[in-house]
Amino acid sequence: MKLPDKRGYYGSFGGKFVPETLSFCLNELESAYRTALKDKQFKKKVSALLIEYANRPTPLYYAEKLSSKFGMRIYLKREDLLHTGAHKINNALAQAMLAKFMKKPRIIAETGAGQHGVAVATAAGLLGFKCDIYMGAADVSRQSMNVFRMKVLGANVISVNTGSKTLKDACNQAIRDWVSSVDNTYYLIGSTIGPHPYPEMVRNFQSVIGIEARKQILQIRGRLPDFLVACVGGGSNAIGLFYPFYKDSKVKFIGVEAAGLGLMSDNSASLAKGRVGVFQGAKSFLLQDCFGQVKEAHSVAPGLDYPGVGPEHSFYKETKRAEYVTIDDKEALWGFKTLSEIEGIIPALESSHAIAYLKRLAPLNRGKTVIVCLSGRGDKDLNIVMEQLGDK
Amino acid sequence: MRIEDKLNQLKANNQKAFNVYVPFGYPTIKASRDIVLTLFDNGVDIVELGIPFSDPLADGPIIQEATSVALGGGANVDKMFDFLAQIKEKTDNPIVIMTYFNPVFAYGVTSFFKKMKKVSCSGIMVVDLPLEESQDYLEKTRDYNLEPIFFITPTTSSSRAEKIAKISRGFIYYISVKGTTGPRDLVYPVLKKNIDQLKKITETSICVGFGIHEKKQVQEINKFADGVIIGSEIVSFIAREHKSKGFLAKLGKKVRSLKG
Repeated sequence: MKLPDKRGYYGSFGGKFVPETLSFCLNELESAYRTALKDKQFKKKVSALLIEYANRPTPLYYAEKLSSKFGMRIYLKREDLLHTGAHKINNALAQAMLAKFMKKPRIIAETGAGQHGVAVATAAGLLGFKCDIYMGAADVSRQSMNVFRMKVLGANVISVNTGSKTLKDACNQAIRDWVSSVDNTYYLIGSTIGPHPYPEMVRNFQSVIGIEARKQILQIRGRLPDFLVACVGGGSNAIGLFYPFYKDSKVKFIGVEAAGLGLMSDNSASLAKGRVGVFQGAKSFLLQDCFGQVKEAHSVAPGLDYPGVGPEHSFYKETKRAEYVTIDDKEALWGFKTLSEIEGIIPALESSHAIAYLKRLAPLNRGKTVIVCLSGRGDKDLNIVMEQLGDK
Repeated sequence: MRIEDKLNQLKANNQKAFNVYVPFGYPTIKASRDIVLTLFDNGVDIVELGIPFSDPLADGPIIQEATSVALGGGANVDKMFDFLAQIKEKTDNPIVIMTYFNPVFAYGVTSFFKKMKKVSCSGIMVVDLPLEESQDYLEKTRDYNLEPIFFITPTTSSSRAEKIAKISRGFIYYISVKGTTGPRDLVYPVLKKNIDQLKKITETSICVGFGIHEKKQVQEINKFADGVIIGSEIVSFIAREHKSKGFLAKLGKKVRSLKG
C-alpha cells in the first residue's frame, strides 16, 4: 500500500479540505514537489545544505547513565545538535529549496514556540527570500527570545491577535495570507499537518532522522531496536523517525502526546482524547467539542500545544502500527531535569516528554533497545522551567 | 422556497439576486432572528446564514470577530436548527446555510441533512469542502433533495469549473478575488471576462461574492452576473449599530441603499 494514496489519504485520514482558491495552489505545489524529487540538482543541493550547513548526520548517542538508570539500552538521536537547535531545520531548508525551485520570492510560515519560525527565518535568510512569520500573540510574549532571533535573521514577525492567540490561530492567519498572495508566496508548513501534499512532504523531508538512525543502530548494534520513542504535537519528528522503520514490523513505535495539566483537564492529547474531525485542511484526530468547535490545547511544551495531529499518526493509531501514550507537564519537567543532570544534555520540553516516558516503559522491558528522538535542545525553555520549578 | 425556484422567479422578472450573509447568533441569538426578518423585509432575496466556527480561515477580521462573539453567546448547530424552524413560520424566503465542514461532520452529515429537510432549508455551502472531497457529501445531499452550492474562484481552471458547475445547485458562488472576506476594490473587466466564460459552460445562475461593499459595485456586477452576495459590509454595520436606537430600521435602510 502506498502512503498516502493519490488523493492524499492515509487510510481514512488526510485529504485536502481547503477553500476552492487554495485547490489550485496545492495542485501546483504537489506537481512542483514531484518534479523536484526527480531533479538530481535539487536533491544534491538539499543534501549538501543538510550536511554542510545544518550539521547532518546527527549522532546516535548511547546514553550510558540513562541506560543504567532505567535498565534498558537507550540511544538518543541527537537532533538537538542541528543548526538552530531542533529537527525543524531539516524541513525548513528542504521546503525553502522547493520554494526556490518554484521561483516564489516570498515565504510565509506559522510558528508556535518559535522553533519552526527560527528555522524558516534561517533558511529564508540563507536562500534570499522575503519572509513573514505568523505567531500567536500569546506565544510572542511567552517566547520573546525566539521572536528576537527571527528578527535578527531578517524575518518579519506578525503577531496574531485572533482566537486563542496561539499556534492554530497563527496557522489560520498564514492560510489567509496564502489565499491572498498565492502568485508570489510559498507557505512553509512546519509539521506533518495541513492539506495534502504537506503531511507527505514534511514526513519525507524529516525521514532523514529515521533513515540515519536505522543505519546507525545497525552499524553499532548489528540489529534493529525494539522501540522508537518520540514526542507528538503535530508529529513531524516522530513521523520522521518512525516512517523509515514502517516495514520493520518488530520495531514498536511509541508516540508521546502532551497530557498537559491532565487528561481530564487542559491537554494537547489529540490522539488520546480527541475525535476525528476536519481541521486546517485534513481529516484527523482533533480536540473539539460536540458541535465541532476546536478546543484550545495546553502543554508546558509550546511546540506540543496544538489541538490537531498529523493524519499519518491517526492512521498509525487506527491500524495499531504505533502506540500513543501521554505524559503530563510535571512528568515532562522531571524528564527535563533527569536528562540534564545525568547526561549533561538539556532537552527541549517537547523532547522531555519522550524522555519521561522511559520511566514507564522500562519496568517491563529490561534490557531492550530503544531509540529516543531528542528533537531539540532546551535553551529556549529555560524561562518556562525556571517559572515551573519556582527558581525565578 | 427552494433556491433554484427563487432564482428562476427573479430571472423571469428580469431581476438580480440580492443576497446577504450574516452569522447565526450575532450579536445574539435573539437579535439574529430580527436581523434575518429585517433583511427579507427590505428586499434581500436569499439570506446566507453562517454557522460560527472557531477557526474561520477563509474569513477576514470583520466576520472573524462576529463569529467569535456568536460562539461566546452560545450559538451552536442545535440552536440554529431551532432558529430556522421558527423563522420558517414567519417567512418562505430561502435561507442557505454557510459553514466550514467540521461543524457538519461533527454533527454527522446525515443527521445534519435530516434536520435541514425537517426545517425546509434546502441550500448549503461548505467553504472548505472542495470538489475532490465532496463525493459522499454530494450523494447525501441528493438523498435529502438539498441544493449544495459550490464555489468557483479566479484560480479555478476551466476544466475544473466545468465539473463544479455540474454539481452546484441553486447557484454557483463566484468568489471575486483571491483572498478572504472583507471590503475591497474589484476589477470589473477581469471579473466580467471570467463570468462570461462561465456562462458559456453552464446554465446555472452565478452570484458574485467577496469584497462587495457599495452600491456601485452591486450595479456593475449585476450587468454581467445573476446577483451578488454581501457579507462583511452588513456584518460591520451590525457591529457598529446594533446597540443604537432604531437599529432594525437603520439596518433596513442600509440594505436598501446597497441594493439600489
